[in-house]
Amino acid sequence: MSIVQIEGLCKNYPSFTLDRVSFSLEAGRIAGFIGRNGAGKTTTIKAMLNLIHPNAGEIRFFDLPLIGNEAQIKQRIGYSTGAVNYYPKKPIKEIVAVTKTFYPTWSDADYKTYAELFELDENKCPRELSEGMKVKFNLLLALAHGAEILILDEPTSGLDPFARDELLDVFGELKARGVAVLFSTHITSDLEKCADDIIYISRGRIVAALPKAEFTAQFGRDDETLEETILRLEKEGRAK
Amino acid sequence: MKAMLRKECKLAALPLTYFFLAFGFMALVPGYPILLSAFFVCLGLFQTFQTAREANDLLYTVLLPIRKADAVKSRYLFCAMIELAAFALAAICTLVRMTALKDAAAYRSNALMNANLVYLGFLLLIYGCFNAVFVRGFFKSGGGLLKPFLLFGLLAFLIVGVGEALHFIPALSAANAFGFDHIGLQAACLAAGVCLFALLTALAEKSAEQAFEKVDL
Repeated sequence: MSIVQIEGLCKNYPSFTLDRVSFSLEAGRIAGFIGRNGAGKTTTIKAMLNLIHPNAGEIRFFDLPLIGNEAQIKQRIGYSTGAVNYYPKKPIKEIVAVTKTFYPTWSDADYKTYAELFELDENKCPRELSEGMKVKFNLLLALAHGAEILILDEPTSGLDPFARDELLDVFGELKARGVAVLFSTHITSDLEKCADDIIYISRGRIVAALPKAEFTAQFGRDDETLEETILRLEKEGRAK
Repeated sequence: MKAMLRKECKLAALPLTYFFLAFGFMALVPGYPILLSAFFVCLGLFQTFQTAREANDLLYTVLLPIRKADAVKSRYLFCAMIELAAFALAAICTLVRMTALKDAAAYRSNALMNANLVYLGFLLLIYGCFNAVFVRGFFKSGGGLLKPFLLFGLLAFLIVGVGEALHFIPALSAANAFGFDHIGLQAACLAAGVCLFALLTALAEKSAEQAFEKVDL
């Protein structure tokens, strides 16, 4: 089942254009959204969350257009970014107490399970959390309301290798539960470990949106790793 | 909307905003431009907008399963709630001045605006302007604070100036009536204040919803 479908998404800024971005994501798949800084990953994700207004194109979740079904769709998705810190001085339990009132599907049992798994102290404030714990806290909110797709913008940025590894393991667990994960990253090694699909964006255009094996077969050379392939593609793209 | 209002009170609101409600008691201060109490209450609300912005409240809110317009509506509701609570406090103090303290020497010798129904009407006008100029400006700019608040500040001080100057015009001296003197005029001014507050707030809220819908965050 297709969880998200994006068709011909365009967004024009004075110094940047997102150019006819199209891809889709199936349930229970992990898609790595890769591209260098400024390639258009965050712009695409912002459009998927209705934070910005595309100049053209359509975004559909669960076969429903985002426009006109925003509230209904947001009940079923979770979002996290490593960079944003909500209410840094409020205790986590207060943020959770308010957040859960918006989700009829919220499960206190799931919340407890993941809070224990992530070793999250809910008496702490977000500003007291490490970068990795902030991402886990946002993930926790998404998981407790039973999100069917997680959209994660640079979740591994700023994390140490151990925290990154833990997070990628969590993605694996979510996949087993049928949750789709779309995570943007510029760290190509993250993809090697857990991605099923590669969505590669460069200078506002999707270069490829393929299962990892097909991506490697189509773009890889000899004994190249995925990281080496993407670096080469990026260099070749720059040279053109 | 109940959940949204709860979010405003529990996460976005700064405790200082609630403390600033006490400026409603300024109606009892003699020899002071008591209309400024409305400006201070709005300053308390401004602090909430500022702190909430620093806490990424707007982003958190629009990512909740709500329409973007609901974020605007709930903030307007919160502001109106604070404004009307401060107004209720000022109204009680005003009624005390109009009845039990009507002949108190400190108030009788007061050269500035008297606390009466005209004063209450002016308070509502200032609150209406805050909603129309600052709150609307905040959402229209996607979180801008300085320009909308400066514009509101100028307007608020202009209204305070007009309110304080009004009774010095001989034909309008009744605007500064004591107790229930000239009660018809006083009630008309209060009614005008109520209408302007309701109209400005309702129109600004709709306009802010439309403007915020177009903003890229």
